[in-house]
Amino acid sequence: MSTLRAKIPTYSMHAMLIFGLIVTVFPFVWVALMGTHSRSEIYSVPPPFYVGDDLLANYEKLLDIMPFWQVLWNSLSISILGTVSAVFFCSLCAYGFFAYDFRGKNIVFGIMVASMMVPPVLTIIPFFLTVKFLGILDTHFALWFPGMANAFGIFLVRQYMTTSISRDLIDAAKVDGCSPFRIYWSVVLPLIKPALATLAIVMFIGLWNNFLGPLIVLSSPDKFVLTLALRSVQSLANSPWGAIMLGTFLSMVPLLLAFAFFSKQMIAGLTAGAVKG
Amino acid sequence: MATIEIKNLTKSFGAAKVLHDLNLQVEEGEFVALVGPSGCGKSTLLRILAGLEEPTSGDILMDGAEVNDLNPKERNIAMVFQSYALYPHMTAGQNIGFNLRISGMKKAQIAEEVNKAADILDLKPLLDRKPSQLSGGQRQRVAMGRALVRNPAAFLFDEPLSNLDAKLRVQMRDEIKTLHTKVKTTSIYVTHDQIEAMTLADRIVIMKDGRIQQVGSPSELYTNPANRFVAGFIGSPAMNFLPAELTASGALKLSETAQIMLPAIPMDVVAGKVDAGIRPEHFTIDPTGTAPIKGEVISIEPTGAQNLIRVRIGAGVATVIDNALLPITAGEPVALNVALEKIKVYPPEES
Repeated sequence: MSTLRAKIPTYSMHAMLIFGLIVTVFPFVWVALMGTHSRSEIYSVPPPFYVGDDLLANYEKLLDIMPFWQVLWNSLSISILGTVSAVFFCSLCAYGFFAYDFRGKNIVFGIMVASMMVPPVLTIIPFFLTVKFLGILDTHFALWFPGMANAFGIFLVRQYMTTSISRDLIDAAKVDGCSPFRIYWSVVLPLIKPALATLAIVMFIGLWNNFLGPLIVLSSPDKFVLTLALRSVQSLANSPWGAIMLGTFLSMVPLLLAFAFFSKQMIAGLTAGAVKG
Repeated sequence: MATIEIKNLTKSFGAAKVLHDLNLQVEEGEFVALVGPSGCGKSTLLRILAGLEEPTSGDILMDGAEVNDLNPKERNIAMVFQSYALYPHMTAGQNIGFNLRISGMKKAQIAEEVNKAADILDLKPLLDRKPSQLSGGQRQRVAMGRALVRNPAAFLFDEPLSNLDAKLRVQMRDEIKTLHTKVKTTSIYVTHDQIEAMTLADRIVIMKDGRIQQVGSPSELYTNPANRFVAGFIGSPAMNFLPAELTASGALKLSETAQIMLPAIPMDVVAGKVDAGIRPEHFTIDPTGTAPIKGEVISIEPTGAQNLIRVRIGAGVATVIDNALLPITAGEPVALNVALEKIKVYPPEES
């Protein structure tokens, strides 16, 4: 009896965790399962919480209502381009703020951080006008390029640098004969991998899930990204839910893969032993 | 190897002037220590020599040529940092070889040079470890290997031992000394620990508030300190400064019961109130009680080989080294002899 009582905290913790896990995972499983049913099955009562046999039909339907693989590729290329360039330029910019002292540095940094407080919705119309002015409406360029050096990324990386890279390390690299870029590339970058991974995941998810941006910028269906394409077919009367669920599920797969790939980097503490510990 | 010369060097950070018109000449192969209390500008001077900071005015010459505008690499100096500043993502071997890699040396040759440096520093078995897997002393040796491997014109050490525990510090001190006798590279060593400076350096530069107080060999600084600051800074335990009265005839009165006659009348001090500077080791306790300086024992600090005895003499308190380990207890009266010719007299400190 007493041992049971001693285990109550453990059991209740596990119960909480399991509950949390179910709440988190259920929508994914639901979407995956619904992707295998026809529309009428989905609307039946009780809902068909099992694997159905309409997967192929749904897939054909999906290809019928949108150029799915084209759209997936659009999403993927925008997200990858945006993520890679953001990781590179944000960290480069953060390195500038971290390693150099220049007149007005704190003011510039302050303005940049303050700009994060502007609600994104407010910038939609200026964003549209700018994109239009630049003549890049209906291009993918307009979607990944503007976010390349963003305040959040620079802020995140710089804050990580200040806690994980000592000044002496930069000085040591200078004495070793590194050029400023070489210091960034060979000494700073390897030490901020966790921050870069975090930024990459945030950027990738943001770009992948971006709906408002594509909605404003893109007009030709062959340039649509997943969010836009999946939304556009829902407006049809008699929405083919099975096909949409399948498309939604497929659109989640790259994100899951990306997370599986980067999460180790996020957790790893790479700076242990930089200075006397 | 190179000579290093500093000419009229000043450095200001905004309105704060941290180095005042410094001049210094370091000979080829010499080991020079820069010593001073925290904030005296010694590390700033070292960083200027390294090329990590720019002087506000003045020149730095290496081998007679001005290097003001050269970057650290072009000056061909190597620096050992207080925090070691090892690259945490590289192994010890990669750390040591990094500057060779930067300069574009071939892999095989880098490996050879790294091995050579590792041999000298006894690091061979540790080359594949990351800094986090090394102890403090090993990290320090890797940092030295990194400096050694490129065969620099000069070594700059920035308090390299202050992160180590006392025992390891002594051991590493020995290693640095051995290393210097082996490679004979011009070295400049910053420390706030005067013992480190005394034991390592050929010459010591004592700094205070951005000014050089005195430059000289360890024994010169010990026997002939240029001023009260140097006298108090060099030597451990530190020199005693006792308030006293000096007469025109050269009599020094420490208290009513402690009066001595100086062998020579000090030239640069006016008679009247003075501070007498007497090193703890220049006192001897007279067990017979007839010696001229009478005092009262306040406390005794045994260190094993000797006792440090705190003695009240008049208005001052002096530390006295007792090598004979006499059976003295606190509160007892005591009589002291002093090596008269070693006494320094300074104007009283303004309060």
